[in-house]
Amino acid sequence: MRMTLTRAGALARRRRALRALAALPLAALAGACRIREQQADALVFRHPKLFGDPQPLDALVGEFERAQGARVRRETLPASSDEQHLYYAINLSAQTREFDVLALDTIWVAEFAQAGWLRDLSHLVTHGDEHDLFEAPLASVSWRGRRYALPWFVDAGLLYYRADLLAAQGLAPPRTWVALQDAIHRVRAGQPALHGFLWQGKQYEGLVCNALEFIWSHGGDLGAGSEAAARGLAFMRRLVTAGVSPPFVTTLTEEPSRVLFGRGRALFLRNWPYAWSLLEGAGSAVRGRVGVCALPHSAGHASAATLGGWHLGVNAFSRRAALAERLAAFLAAAPAQKALALAYGYSPPRRSLYADAELTAARPFLGSLGALLDAARPRPVSPYYVAVSQVLQSEFSAVLCGRRAPEAALAAIARRHRALEAG
Amino acid sequence: MRLRAARLEPWVLMSPALLLLAAVTALPMLYVLWLSLQQRALFRPARFAGLDHYLRLAADERFWNALGNTLYFAAVSVAVELALGLGFALLLERAGRVRALVYGAVLVPWAIPSVVSARIWEWMYHPEIGLLSYLAGRPVNWLGDPALALHAAIAMDVWKSTPFVALLLLAGLQGIPRELARAAAVDGAGAWTVFRRITLPLLAPVILVAAVFRTIDALRVFDAIYVLTGGGPANTTETLSIYAYRVLFQELDFGYGSALAVVVLAITGIAALAYARLLRARIE
Repeated sequence: MRMTLTRAGALARRRRALRALAALPLAALAGACRIREQQADALVFRHPKLFGDPQPLDALVGEFERAQGARVRRETLPASSDEQHLYYAINLSAQTREFDVLALDTIWVAEFAQAGWLRDLSHLVTHGDEHDLFEAPLASVSWRGRRYALPWFVDAGLLYYRADLLAAQGLAPPRTWVALQDAIHRVRAGQPALHGFLWQGKQYEGLVCNALEFIWSHGGDLGAGSEAAARGLAFMRRLVTAGVSPPFVTTLTEEPSRVLFGRGRALFLRNWPYAWSLLEGAGSAVRGRVGVCALPHSAGHASAATLGGWHLGVNAFSRRAALAERLAAFLAAAPAQKALALAYGYSPPRRSLYADAELTAARPFLGSLGALLDAARPRPVSPYYVAVSQVLQSEFSAVLCGRRAPEAALAAIARRHRALEAG
Repeated sequence: MRLRAARLEPWVLMSPALLLLAAVTALPMLYVLWLSLQQRALFRPARFAGLDHYLRLAADERFWNALGNTLYFAAVSVAVELALGLGFALLLERAGRVRALVYGAVLVPWAIPSVVSARIWEWMYHPEIGLLSYLAGRPVNWLGDPALALHAAIAMDVWKSTPFVALLLLAGLQGIPRELARAAAVDGAGAWTVFRRITLPLLAPVILVAAVFRTIDALRVFDAIYVLTGGGPANTTETLSIYAYRVLFQELDFGYGSALAVVVLAITGIAALAYARLLRARIE
């Protein structure tokens, strides 16, 4: 009798515990709903992950919230560029209202604008802005004469070099490709194991940026001037066959190339501005021995760097477009860009900020980049860029591996481009 | 009347399962097939395209390249996996007391997610600091050389999938009565003859099952290669699934991408049917 009683008690207890457990997800759901309700009226800002502490950006957003009496929620995008593009494309083609302000890679604006997913922000770009902003980002936010985004921060390809090794040979940083090869030749005479020039040659978007720099710095361009463009691509191939770059450059992306250079294994590296703080940071094997300059060019032509970076756009389907426009304009204005440059080292797209004494004093490296970033060039501004890039990646990779002659690759690229434009 | 009811009963009982299968398999499949006949791409008016996409496929150099890569990858990796898997299974059968330990060790590659194993192999293939270049005694451009890259991907797949084949074949081996081998030995058959005349024929159905699984997986291969090489260099490792993914999810051309997906489906379907026939012939 006692036995059964206790068992019944235990059963009842267990049942109560189970019921409590079953209620948990419901409670969580209710909680989640409440949070969603509270935040339903918040403006949503989608942007890629920040390099560092979110506090400075939060402080900026907080300033906007107080001034406008509005609430803003920041949401981070997926890590890879492909996933970000897919995320936006899927949601915007379904006319989402889940986000209002969105950070855009420079290569997406024409596509999204043509699709009708972005609000026309031309009225937010003042006459003063047009003079202040660098040309390349301004070109890449423009589509059919209107502006569909505001330049937020910019990137450009740079040449990193081992200042100590060049100085030991009495060499200046190279201005031409010939000088670069010459420097490699001389330094390697004493250090045969050292790699010459590392850059990004894996079949991916980074290869497009690198190859365009080779083409542009030989006076060529896609479409027009294809003879010079072919010379640029042939030069890219020759870097590998002549041993200026190691064969495995065909597998390199930004980070592996930066790591090798950072371990002191190479004389030159092509990379974006982000590499500087890592190469010069505590624990770097090459700290204090690295210099930066513009990428070299072939004789008689100008140096060229591919534009990267992020713009701010406003979702065309946003319920609160006016407020969203104010947030985009606030974040893309000089004071906010200066704060972000100070906090994260992001390079602002405004000439005036590179003359700002406080900024150049706090971030001397950034201060020295102004002219280099100002000279950057955008990748083809086209609503079909993502599809074009597929062809650019595979054709450039084929040239780099010696599987395709530069002329044949350029012809294939032109064919595909025409087919896309024709629909 | 009663007879008809009796005939109907199994269908009634099976209907929930059949409906579920239809909902999760047949409908999406038909939808992809339907999409492949439509023009559904950004900036282009949605319209019925008929067989346009399939005609475009026939003239698409990149498609034929991807098809070739896929078939080569599947043929070589499945053949090597079956051969190695059979070897491991025969050894494991004799492993005796350490068997449990060896089981665990063998299963590790199979248990690692493909994306993670691709990252591991990416480091092993690193020309400067990778293990394989060290073993080769000189820097080898495993992933960046057009002649090597697809083979590097095959090696990774073999490493990952051989354990699966080995365990399946081991189960098959354990199902073969030992008396047969003993009787043959009494009749004077050597180990090779026993293997060829008794083990292999009795194991054949299991080998076929392993081959079906591996072939279907290999024909659809995506994640491991996508992480390892991204399809490069010069598209030499781009498989049909990678090409389909790019067209569908990067170019956002759902019509043409669906046509590519239908081709993958058709090829795996044909492979599965061919194996099923072989298997049935064996059993009969």
